[in-house]
Amino acid sequence: MPPKPATAPAPSSAVQSLWKAYNDQTPDRLKFIDAFLVFLMLSGIVQFAYCVLVTTFPYNAFLSGFGSTVGQFVLTASLRSQVNPQNKNEFKDVSPERAFADFAIGSIVLHFFVFNFLG
Amino acid sequence: MLSLYTFLLFFLSLSGLLHAKSSDGDSVLILVEESHKKDFSLFYEDLKEHGYNLTFRAPKDEKPSVVDFDVPAFSHIVILASESKNFAKDITPQSLVELLSGGTNLLVGLSAKQTPLTSLASEFSLILPPPATPLISFFPERKDPPSVIPINAPASSLIISPNTSPIWFSGVPFALGNNPLLVPILNAPAESFAADSEGGPDVLVDATERGGEGLWAGSQLSVVSGFQTTNGARVTWLGGVDMLSDKFFKKDVSKGVKSGNARFARDIAAWTFQESLVLRLDSTTHHLVNSTIPQEQYTTNDNLVFTAHISRFHPRTATWEPYSGIKDMQLEFTMLDPHIRTALPAVAGSPGTYSTTFRAPDRHGVFKFVVDYKRQGWTHLQSSTTVALVPPRHDGYPRFLSAAWPYYAGAISTSVAFFIFSAAWLAGESREGKKAKGGKAQ
Repeated sequence: MPPKPATAPAPSSAVQSLWKAYNDQTPDRLKFIDAFLVFLMLSGIVQFAYCVLVTTFPYNAFLSGFGSTVGQFVLTASLRSQVNPQNKNEFKDVSPERAFADFAIGSIVLHFFVFNFLG
Repeated sequence: MLSLYTFLLFFLSLSGLLHAKSSDGDSVLILVEESHKKDFSLFYEDLKEHGYNLTFRAPKDEKPSVVDFDVPAFSHIVILASESKNFAKDITPQSLVELLSGGTNLLVGLSAKQTPLTSLASEFSLILPPPATPLISFFPERKDPPSVIPINAPASSLIISPNTSPIWFSGVPFALGNNPLLVPILNAPAESFAADSEGGPDVLVDATERGGEGLWAGSQLSVVSGFQTTNGARVTWLGGVDMLSDKFFKKDVSKGVKSGNARFARDIAAWTFQESLVLRLDSTTHHLVNSTIPQEQYTTNDNLVFTAHISRFHPRTATWEPYSGIKDMQLEFTMLDPHIRTALPAVAGSPGTYSTTFRAPDRHGVFKFVVDYKRQGWTHLQSSTTVALVPPRHDGYPRFLSAAWPYYAGAISTSVAFFIFSAAWLAGESREGKKAKGGKAQ
């Protein structure tokens, strides 16, 4: 069994270094997308918790509310992978503008269905 | 206006006194042998006094016929020919049952002899003792033969009027099957039994040796029983026709006390010929609370009002009058099973009206308002109204629920965040684009 004091600082330093590396190496635009993703994730978690702990009663409302966060998360995540400069070789045919247009149209369609199903 | 009304009422009651009538018509056919025709003159007089038109016919006569062109020719038939073995072609057990289903009322006398009517009686759940065994009782002590028995009128009865003196009876008793349509009217005395009239007390000794088996005895036996068919026609079975004879009408039960036979004959004639205990369900309506218009369909969970109007026939005036005396009526709201069964009480201050309010079940389908009031002796009341119970329309639901606000907030915030994100993204792109252009220029 390895001594505790030796291992304890290691994870925290790993997290710290990960955070530092993320801060240093990620472009601002991707950080902005990540902030949006975090928001969507938190929103989804809150709705799911409400559904589990309080009531599922207007189930259609839960499905549309939760679905909108999940769908938006998926669309945003795909936008992130397409505009990431590191993936340029993967998406040779997809320009960032094209990626954003896809994202925007996908989102508008998603929201159309969400609001239809909400009430 | 009021004086006119009272005038009208006065004339109505006057005419009623002259022609007190049955609710079912006043033509009576009396089947009686010529030789016994004169025995029942007081009974005939009583019927005539109450507005009946009597027609006499011997059991073997062909005319007047009972059915004319498939329509019953008489409203009521009294069969006093209890000992006849042969009847004309149109008086058979089958034809009598057909007459009953056509609404004709029957007053049938039985006797200790085996006749076609004996076999008919068993179709009405009356179980007759073996032939030639009339009812016998040695109590109370009296000079009459043991087969002529005074029977005390029941203390409380719907059909027999209260304080009727003891009733002379001579004839056969019968046990009653468990048919719910039977209406026991007069039971045999507890100490009486059915036996061969010559056998006397020896029958009891024999029966005691056999442990009482096969002895027809006791107050569970009936001597007069009614039967009301499902369509409202009434049959009354008399154990013996002597009950209606002039001899028994005039016979004293004790010194100076006339027998109750005359009154009893009036009471059973009134019941059998549908004068007394006759109810009618005039109408039923249903509507929403706060509305008066009946609808063909209601929505689940609606509050509904059901109202019934009931009249009772008054033979004295021959009119139907609103009747509020029913205390135990129920309304059922059924789809296969009663989803709701609730009391249908009389409305105070509105005679003859019975009403109840209830919430329709949370279940859609084809429902029926069912009133099914069947009490022994009374006319059966039945009504069934079909309505559809539908779920709320698409706009019949509450649209936005407070419980769902977290979901609404989630969906709206996602959309708003998407717009802000898109706007910021586009703004950032144009700025970066400028930066890139500037970089190239440098």
